[in-house]
Amino acid sequence: MKIELSVNGERKEADVWPGESLLFTLREKLGLPGSKNACEQGECGSCSVLLDEKLVCSCLVLTAQAQGHEIVTVEGIAEDDRLHRVQEAFVQTGAVQCGFCTPGLIVATVDLLAHRPEPSDDEIREALSGNLCRCTGYQKIFDAVRLAARA
Amino acid sequence: MDILRPDSLEAARAALKNGSVALAGGTELVPLLRDRIVEADTIVEIRHAVPRGIQGTRIGAGTTLGELEVDPQIPDALREACRLAASPQLRAMGTIGGNLLQATRCWYWRLKYPCWLHGGGRCFAHEGLHREHAVFANAPCASAHPSDVAAALLALGATVRTDRRELPIAELYRLPTGDDRRMTGLEPGELILELEVPMPAASTYLKAMDRKRFAFALVGVAAARSPEGTRLALAGMAPIPWLLEDESALDEATPLPGNAYKLEIARALIRRALVAVAP
Repeated sequence: MKIELSVNGERKEADVWPGESLLFTLREKLGLPGSKNACEQGECGSCSVLLDEKLVCSCLVLTAQAQGHEIVTVEGIAEDDRLHRVQEAFVQTGAVQCGFCTPGLIVATVDLLAHRPEPSDDEIREALSGNLCRCTGYQKIFDAVRLAARA
Repeated sequence: MDILRPDSLEAARAALKNGSVALAGGTELVPLLRDRIVEADTIVEIRHAVPRGIQGTRIGAGTTLGELEVDPQIPDALREACRLAASPQLRAMGTIGGNLLQATRCWYWRLKYPCWLHGGGRCFAHEGLHREHAVFANAPCASAHPSDVAAALLALGATVRTDRRELPIAELYRLPTGDDRRMTGLEPGELILELEVPMPAASTYLKAMDRKRFAFALVGVAAARSPEGTRLALAGMAPIPWLLEDESALDEATPLPGNAYKLEIARALIRRALVAVAP
């Protein structure tokens, strides 16, 4: 079936299986491999995207459910050639190790700071609780979020 | 496979025929469809067909956990159960109606072992790993019901309204039997539309899990005090949400060799919960 999507402000069209996840469509049909495919169970958050400004796991959303809604992936976070301040903060603090969790964490942090520009430590923990880092580099991820909040 | 997106209840009812499955938030169903544990010819997306939102003591089945956890009108036990149920990503999509109908997390079942619950003859958890499994009613199937929200609603004495009847939440669930291995009594195509949740004098939901922020319940304890008394209900302790007469009813549990620890945790959480809701 043909589905029309709005991804990072652009209209896209994809031919999808009705049971196909948004993550699969983004990665395999639309050439947007930034959202990562790890657990496909909603445990790890590496596929996090914004759907109508809400943070969701794209592996748990059918592409058909996303039709008519605004999708923002990690590819849509940077402004033109400049990194977003959250991306900049991750680079500066060394919050990236193997990098697999990074796109999901970037999107989750952008979402957090949009709602809580000055989050408490507890709010950071809560907001990022759905994103697992298999390198266990949480301390530097924390530092990155604090730095981005100050920036 | 096909997908339909009806925009009214009537259209949804017409679409929900043999071979179709209702999809709300998708957090439970999408992986089950992908793994072919749930097979369907047609997915019926019911988001625009079932009520969403909170009106006094009535909650639309399409209301997300994320919407509920920040609402000051709803009882504490339900709000806490929603907040502790999953990560922010899942709470943004998952609905309260879908949460009540989620399947067990038993990995033998999820990995499609030919187990009793899948229609086979054995419960692999009994002989294998069962640390997270049921301590009540755990034969012939030791799967544990994961819904925090269901335990909260059971303690609160909620009523479920479907497109064809009203029933106490306790009657939504049934222990599976040899000739009918379903965990709910819903008829094919029957849709949960709304929940009626009476306001208690006090209520709470406490949850023990492997990670601090969220994981499926090892033990969930809901307590609600009303003029008729205090009601306790458990998540993660039986194949269905479990009403507990009082703390001493824990003595009737039949734990497996690897999960008796759950009873110690339950005892501690029940005591804490009773203190929390005491007048």
